[in-house]
Amino acid sequence: MASADQISHESMVNQSLRFKMARSSVSCKYSEFSMVVIPGHNHTGDSVERRRRPELPVIPPREKSMPIDQDWTTVWPTASTFKWSAVPLPIRQGRVFVCFKNFSESNIFNYFHSQKAEQDGIPPGKYGNLELMKIPNFLHLTPNHIKKHCAALKEFCTEWPEGLETDEKCKKHFPVEVISSDYIVDSISLRDPRARTVCIKINLSSLDLDSHAKDKFIRLVGDRYNADTGELTLELDRCPMKKQNHDYGIYLLSALFKESWKTEGWESEKTVDDMEMYVWSMNESKKNTQQITEVMKKAAENPSCKVPEYVLKSENVLETEPVQEYAAAVEDLHNVGEDLHSLEKYKEQVKKMLLAQ
Amino acid sequence: MNTSLRLPSLLVCHLSTSPAQVEGDGEPDDLYRSIVLEMKGHDPTVMASYQKYLCMTCEELGIHVERVWELPKCIERRSLLKSVHIYKKHFRQYESRTHFRNIELKRLTGSTADTFLEYIERNLPEGMALKVTKHRIEPLPPHIRPAPKQVEDDSTITQ
Repeated sequence: MASADQISHESMVNQSLRFKMARSSVSCKYSEFSMVVIPGHNHTGDSVERRRRPELPVIPPREKSMPIDQDWTTVWPTASTFKWSAVPLPIRQGRVFVCFKNFSESNIFNYFHSQKAEQDGIPPGKYGNLELMKIPNFLHLTPNHIKKHCAALKEFCTEWPEGLETDEKCKKHFPVEVISSDYIVDSISLRDPRARTVCIKINLSSLDLDSHAKDKFIRLVGDRYNADTGELTLELDRCPMKKQNHDYGIYLLSALFKESWKTEGWESEKTVDDMEMYVWSMNESKKNTQQITEVMKKAAENPSCKVPEYVLKSENVLETEPVQEYAAAVEDLHNVGEDLHSLEKYKEQVKKMLLAQ
Repeated sequence: MNTSLRLPSLLVCHLSTSPAQVEGDGEPDDLYRSIVLEMKGHDPTVMASYQKYLCMTCEELGIHVERVWELPKCIERRSLLKSVHIYKKHFRQYESRTHFRNIELKRLTGSTADTFLEYIERNLPEGMALKVTKHRIEPLPPHIRPAPKQVEDDSTITQ
């Protein structure tokens, strides 16, 4: 406000000075009467001609002066909003407006021979086109751009090691699989609570477990074990950070492993009645098989008796193939259940074990 | 008093950093069996352009693209009667369509994956979401590997 006041005051002083000067000059001509001269109204003769700035020529859009073989990566180096003057492409975008309703016959003739007809019936051109500015453009990611970028990025990339060409080989040498996700969205925060979740997968066959340890392991993990694929899946999301969840998962895996190898004192008290499934080696069937094979061995001393070959060949008869297959058939019969297939298998194994070929 | 306290710790720090640690080459690189990029957006043409860009980048960097697939679009409809009370002709339906596209990449080392993901994430167009699922493979931790017999012995000793 102070400066505005100052300016107005100065202009008033200037005006009064000019008024006085004009008055004195006029008083020399007409000495008898002094005339009141109002600057701007009366011609004082000392007006200054205003200088006009010469008009600059309008520069044509940049696209007109672009050579055909230019390097586009230098024209459009980074992501930016669409600029009609810098893109030498006949792009059109937007809603089509055309209306023949108000045309009379003579008007239609004129219309089709006018320049406007070229613009109507097709989407609007690029000049000042908002639709083209709204949509994300890929003018900064042309094949030439990508080639340039990748040539610079190539030195940070490394080759995949040899010997891990297939998923099977990967699983063999690196049995633990850690699955985690990153999320990128347009939002005010970079953080995403879903990103902390870590999933650890491992096939039980890659762990060193005997039948007891494996059984205990499967009981401990519960429904995290898939019996069809033999895979254990641990979903971990209780810690706030991804790294913490991963570390917790590895800790859990090692705790499970150690725990499953432990044998508690009361486990030796388990009897046949406590078993969850039929185990051939713990049952009467094993004893019977042993007795029968011993009888067959004795009978073999008599040349008129025909005895299966395996009985004579090996010392430990119970470890031979026909007996083991018979045991598997019996277990199958008890654990899976009686059906045509298992009964047929049992019949075949019994014949193989008892009858001479 | 303070200096005498600080001196040993400084010395320890100095001694514990071996040249290998300084250079940072002691740590083995991560291995990614596969990386799945899941894109989500409302404009299918922008997504198609981005997918083309991704495939070109993979080709340039020598990354194996296992497969590219599209999930069915998801349409969410909202109905609105603009008139408060009657006039069914003012009934309007608005809908938002979400399109999905997935790309699976195979066999990337940690440094390749970091470089590639940084590059593509920076060039993600506006209004698109990206989910990156990484399948990292690891060897068994050393404390799980020892012979089971030894563990068994340990357990019997503790009993």
